[in-house]
Amino acid sequence: MSVLDKLPVAIQTKLQQEPLFSGKTDLMTDGHFGVQWLTVTEQELMLWNVEGKQQLAIKLSEVTDARTAGGVGGGSLMIDTKKGPVVAARYTAALTTLFSFAAKLIGALAKGEERPVISEKEFPRYCPKCSNPLSEGTQVCPLCKNNKKVILRMLSYAMPYKLQMVAAGFLLILTTLVELIPPYLTKVMIDDVLQPKDTGSALLTVVIGLGVTALLMSVMQTVRGLIGVWVGSKLMGDLRKDVYSSLMRLSLAFFDRRQTSQFIGRVNSDSEAMRQFMTDGVIWASGESLRVVAIFIIMFGLDWKLTLFAMLPMPFMILVSMKLWPKIGRRWYQQWRAIFRLNVLVGDSLQGVRVVKAFGQEKTEMSRYAVANREVVRHNIRIEGLWQGVFPLFSFIAGIGTLLIWYNGGLSVIHNELQLGTLMALIAYLSMLFGPLQWVSQMINWASNAIAAADRVFEIMDTPSEVPEVKDPAVIGTIEGHVRFDKVTYGYEKHHPVIKDINLDVEAGEMIGLVGHSGAGKSTFINMICRFYDTDEGAISIDGIDLRRISQTDLRSQIGVVLQETFLFDGTIAENIAYSKPDATPVEIMQAAKIANAHDFIVRLPDGYDTRVGERGHRLSGGEKQRVSIARAIIHDPRILILDEATASVDTETERQIQEAITRLIKGRTTFAIAHRLSTLRNANRLVVLERGRIVEVGTHEELLEKKGAYHKLVEAQQELSKIKGVEG
Amino acid sequence: MDDKYSIKVFDPEHILFSRGKGGVFQGIIEGKPYDELVIHRTFPFLYTTRYISVRDVKGDELGVIEDIEKLDDESMKELDKELRFRYFLPTVSRVDSVKQKSDLWIWELQTNLGPTSMAMRNLHEHLQFPGDNRVILTDMNGKRCEIADWEALDAHSRSQLSDVL
Ligand SMILES: Nc1ncnc2c1ncn2[C@@H]1O[C@H](COP(=O)(O)OP(=O)(O)OP(=O)(O)O)[C@@H](O)[C@H]1O
Ligand SMILES: [Mg+2]
Repeated sequence: MSVLDKLPVAIQTKLQQEPLFSGKTDLMTDGHFGVQWLTVTEQELMLWNVEGKQQLAIKLSEVTDARTAGGVGGGSLMIDTKKGPVVAARYTAALTTLFSFAAKLIGALAKGEERPVISEKEFPRYCPKCSNPLSEGTQVCPLCKNNKKVILRMLSYAMPYKLQMVAAGFLLILTTLVELIPPYLTKVMIDDVLQPKDTGSALLTVVIGLGVTALLMSVMQTVRGLIGVWVGSKLMGDLRKDVYSSLMRLSLAFFDRRQTSQFIGRVNSDSEAMRQFMTDGVIWASGESLRVVAIFIIMFGLDWKLTLFAMLPMPFMILVSMKLWPKIGRRWYQQWRAIFRLNVLVGDSLQGVRVVKAFGQEKTEMSRYAVANREVVRHNIRIEGLWQGVFPLFSFIAGIGTLLIWYNGGLSVIHNELQLGTLMALIAYLSMLFGPLQWVSQMINWASNAIAAADRVFEIMDTPSEVPEVKDPAVIGTIEGHVRFDKVTYGYEKHHPVIKDINLDVEAGEMIGLVGHSGAGKSTFINMICRFYDTDEGAISIDGIDLRRISQTDLRSQIGVVLQETFLFDGTIAENIAYSKPDATPVEIMQAAKIANAHDFIVRLPDGYDTRVGERGHRLSGGEKQRVSIARAIIHDPRILILDEATASVDTETERQIQEAITRLIKGRTTFAIAHRLSTLRNANRLVVLERGRIVEVGTHEELLEKKGAYHKLVEAQQELSKIKGVEG
Repeated sequence: MDDKYSIKVFDPEHILFSRGKGGVFQGIIEGKPYDELVIHRTFPFLYTTRYISVRDVKGDELGVIEDIEKLDDESMKELDKELRFRYFLPTVSRVDSVKQKSDLWIWELQTNLGPTSMAMRNLHEHLQFPGDNRVILTDMNGKRCEIADWEALDAHSRSQLSDVL
């Protein structure tokens, strides 16, 4: 029984039987926000309002099919009846999967087919406790999960260095205490030496005392500074490493939705903000608060009544800080976002600098930059201005305390109730409070910046990979290469499937040619084999083992891919070829290049295999790049070879040579090849024709030609084209 | 006119839209009845009521409506309604609060379609600024709301927004 949401009693009592399905919508049929209930029983489907009043009822015997009509941000459940289609329920995007399931169920009931079983993925993603939505791929609510507070989690990075941190803290305490000595010595000097005009050795002793404390202080500061730098750099290193490995762990889907160059700066600047808070922030904060306490103790010892005056402004300052704290955090984030947008813009136009130049659009890019830049400047002024305003305000208020002491203390000195030295010492200590005070506002600043940064960093770290690694992967050894698609459906966005209900059984060693119109889903199809994405429905298996149970390293080590968009790394050609097999010998590298028909052109380059190809390999021609990436795909002797338009940019003669070599190579290997130039696929054992994400035909070249279907049309169209051009057969 | 390489722009005179009994959007296009039609905004951000692509159930384009204002009242009303269903984009009339709880940003909003709340993991990936003080909010589940002009909102809403936009 697939009862999902608990039906309200009002509705339950009106139903004669336990429903097969019951689900809550979040929109009314008129499109307003609100809740309605959909129930499906063996006989009919009904829609209720929350009070249990029936809004709609359709007998299943009337229904011919059911489907969802996906809109943007929401969708509707459509029921096809004998009298025409009916809108049964509307919902926002959050409930898409739930109602897709409902549609499937109703469709199956109507047609008397096997009923679908609900999978965990189809549950609406709301937290059971606080009813806030859950993010994709988790069942744990970020609000309710036993979340270590961001600060604690951040500090856990400092744990490995706790010894050093403690040492630095200890030195800081010492320095702080030593720092407190000079004002006291000054008091002694004034009250016991200068005023009584003592000409003995006391003066020298006091001066030496002052000198020794100064020396001690500078030594300790140096040592502490060095420790700080060391711990800080190490911390940064750890943080950067963690952020980067979390990035690498994430699935392609994560990067599809984001501009990637943004991460270049983020990894660094966010870890820097966190480091600053942890090393400087934490150590100083503890040191400074200690100092404040110590100063107050001494001041109380000197004269508690006057000290109370100094404390008068404190509550006010605490209040202001509390008020400002969230505001500053938000503004930091605002400023960060402005910079983020600027960086995205720069990353974009620099990556596409060739296109920018080709269309002569440097001016447009510059003015786009200027707009984003103005935003950054504006936010910069807002945040810096805010905090520039806070500190003087604090000093002024603290200054009032000093004035109070001057006045009251001055009166006492005049009336001879207080010694001049004590007053001077009090004033000196009070002015030492300004240091920590400045730190309070600086700390607010740092901490909110660091917390915002940590939030972003931990968000990346907490994002579950959409293609998660299994706990105990199946041992696959060297695979045979038997690939099976079982009712596979996948869409880059859930409500918009790109490949639909794919069933295909590929024998080990078979070569499959994938053909179809542009956008038919061919590249998506092979992305699924590489497990760049996980299926939404159905399963893919290799040698009978579900892809999801194979560790990704094992899987990829058996697959060689040439992707449609050739990408070469900044490095030499040899490094690029040996990318998946860093221990390849030079002969192996040359062998792979030879098969890819790249050897000759590489050797002719002045630097041969040591030619640096630069970012994305832009020093090579399109076809040369493709050949290098073919070599990269075959060097590690994969059991499954995937060629997505691998030879689209080379001339027919070169293609023929590559093909011959590959044909020899692919003996016994399962191969998937995509090509628009159909002659490329002449060696394929079977051709699979895709149309709008569905398989429409499977068979050999001859079979499909005979069928006079979709493939026939493709071939004809191409022959026509070749005739016009007078080339190719 | 029926050239398949150029965009077909409908003559508003020859277009009738209505709603079937089951609440389905349908119409008569140049004399031919369709019992279900699918519409797309071609520029969902820039032109919300202009350049509407009309397609049959299979998704093949029948033509483009330049401006829905030019249709007759009944057709315009139905098309407008259908656009609102397909492009579920409530307009925010008031921002009650924007709070950051644990690591989620929670928005409490009043919209033309009733009150709602949105949850976002962060702001930099969930807010879009198509220009002119317009803001498109997208929550974690893909639900979207629109602020047509944030400077035109009431003072309370603006103060809520001032530090998050
Ligand atoms: N990363 C992506 N995110 C969202 N949609 C995508 C993504 N990649 C492809 N699509 C969409 O999926 C559909 C199928 O794309 P696919 O790349 O599989 O087509 P194809 O058959 O390889 O086409 P071509 O022959 O042009 O390479 C297209 O409509 C495309 O817009
Ligand atoms: Mg492709």
